[in-house]
Amino acid sequence: MKISALGIENFLRVSSVLIILGLVVEIISLLWFHPLSFVLFAFVAITLIGLGILVYLASLVFATEPKTGEKHPA
Amino acid sequence: MVGLLISQIVLSLVLAVIFLIRPSVTANVGWKIVAFIGLCILPAMCIVGGMNTHIVRSEQRRFCISCHAMEPYGRSLYLDDSKFLPAQHFQNHRVPPDTACESCHADYSIYGPFKDKARGLTRIFMQYVSSPPNPITIPGGYSNLQCLHCHEGARSFMENPVHSAMMSTLTSNQMSCLTSGCHDSVHDVNDLKTAKFWSPGQ
Repeated sequence: MKISALGIENFLRVSSVLIILGLVVEIISLLWFHPLSFVLFAFVAITLIGLGILVYLASLVFATEPKTGEKHPA
Repeated sequence: MVGLLISQIVLSLVLAVIFLIRPSVTANVGWKIVAFIGLCILPAMCIVGGMNTHIVRSEQRRFCISCHAMEPYGRSLYLDDSKFLPAQHFQNHRVPPDTACESCHADYSIYGPFKDKARGLTRIFMQYVSSPPNPITIPGGYSNLQCLHCHEGARSFMENPVHSAMMSTLTSNQMSCLTSGCHDSVHDVNDLKTAKFWSPGQ
């Protein structure tokens, strides 16, 4: 299956989920005053948010807009 | 700064939830711009803000001593004996009390903060995966540059005949400030059980 066949909406959904998870982990790391909270932020939150941004940017390059007249699923 | 970071995170979360539930809104040009802000700019700002907050927080004394192995070193700052160098600096506010550990143990060179964070990650690995060394030592020894960062140029330091006589040896790190006979009483964590402690406010 081609990446472009996924459609921009699926890319946006995946990106949103990754960013939401990353931000939730970031909030937990900020509330937790412990050396491991830095590890949690640096390795988990940054990775999730970074992946979310990359997926969004990939959607701009690879994804195709739904054709005119095609109904949006949402 | 933390308030700004929290508002960025909340705004970013709200926008991400909108694009998760209704990605079709991006068919509109205006929402395309909002998507770029909500799924790219704001999350990137949250990473930068989060990193900054974590770095500032890791400079605090209570962060350092929250590791079990570091707890006695934190207690040694309250030793009721002025011959102990860290206790004397901490109790007399010669270093900011909230960032006392960082003030004396930070690497003040250009890439120092990055080296400090890498070293910190190694210590976390030792604490949770392997085991902390006993006794805890500083790799490469304690550098005089950390003392001289504050003391060099200070009148009381420069006018001391012992210091002025060996200044080049001290600045080149050939002889440690903590050499026996000079300032060799530091944390002394092995004798804390019998030591007398200072209690602030008494």
